Amino acid sequence: MNTDQIQRALADIAAESDPPIKLLKLASLVSAVFRERGVELVVVGGSAIEFYTEGAYVSGDLDMCLVSPSRLDLRTRQEIMGRLGAVGGPRSWQVAGQYVDILGEVETLTRSGFRELQAPYGPVRLVSPEDLLVERVLISVYPQRHEPAELCARKLIAVALSGQVELDWAEVRRVAERPEYRIFPALEKLVAEVARELGKDSPYHS
Amino acid sequence: MNSEKTVPIIPKDRPIRWEEWLMGRRARRQTGNRVAPELIRRPGSSSDPRLRKLFNGQRGLPFKKSEEL
Repeated sequence: MNTDQIQRALADIAAESDPPIKLLKLASLVSAVFRERGVELVVVGGSAIEFYTEGAYVSGDLDMCLVSPSRLDLRTRQEIMGRLGAVGGPRSWQVAGQYVDILGEVETLTRSGFRELQAPYGPVRLVSPEDLLVERVLISVYPQRHEPAELCARKLIAVALSGQVELDWAEVRRVAERPEYRIFPALEKLVAEVARELGKDSPYHS
Repeated sequence: MNSEKTVPIIPKDRPIRWEEWLMGRRARRQTGNRVAPELIRRPGSSSDPRLRKLFNGQRGLPFKKSEEL
């Protein structure tokens, strides 16, 4: 992207007042300028949950992780974000009226692969709903009950059971049973609850 | 008519177009509202100071209502 294209994109994003659209357009622009330097990023956390659920969850920051390379020196981060007129760093910047955090290497245990959105300034990769669901269920239970995480999980389960998000339930189970999570009983119970509330069958009902 | 069938799915094995994603927003919000409150933004986090400074005391921009999506 040349300077004019970037400036037009920044003006568009700064003028956007709808939180999910603003964050995903920003993710698209950030992904594009990093991709030009051979760096692939993925959206994680609340912005990814918002993409799948429209759950009115996300706050004013966009969390992204490194896919490849798995590490990126601080000078390169600052140079790339500087093209966007970003303020701050080296892991968190203010851009177009939002915060962007670029964390470390993405953590994923699923085989599902990332999802991709063809957004206005280029493709955006998003961490899989399978990863998000297992992670949120874990956080909802340990180290103690955490209702915001449970509400996110409930909304993810609902859109998946309703056929609005394609989700690999077998893969969710496999990851939830792994030693790193050991959370399948809680997940199975929550899926059953949400399925009952929606009048649908649980994919884990035998 | 089953409205769930008319909403573009967020697919697993291919990219979703921006327009398709936009088309499904209201339906996804309404589905989530059946199992949880409409607004589930966390009341606080470690990012509070910077967020509340940027967003006039809030943690982000206000969300649109379902009917506005």
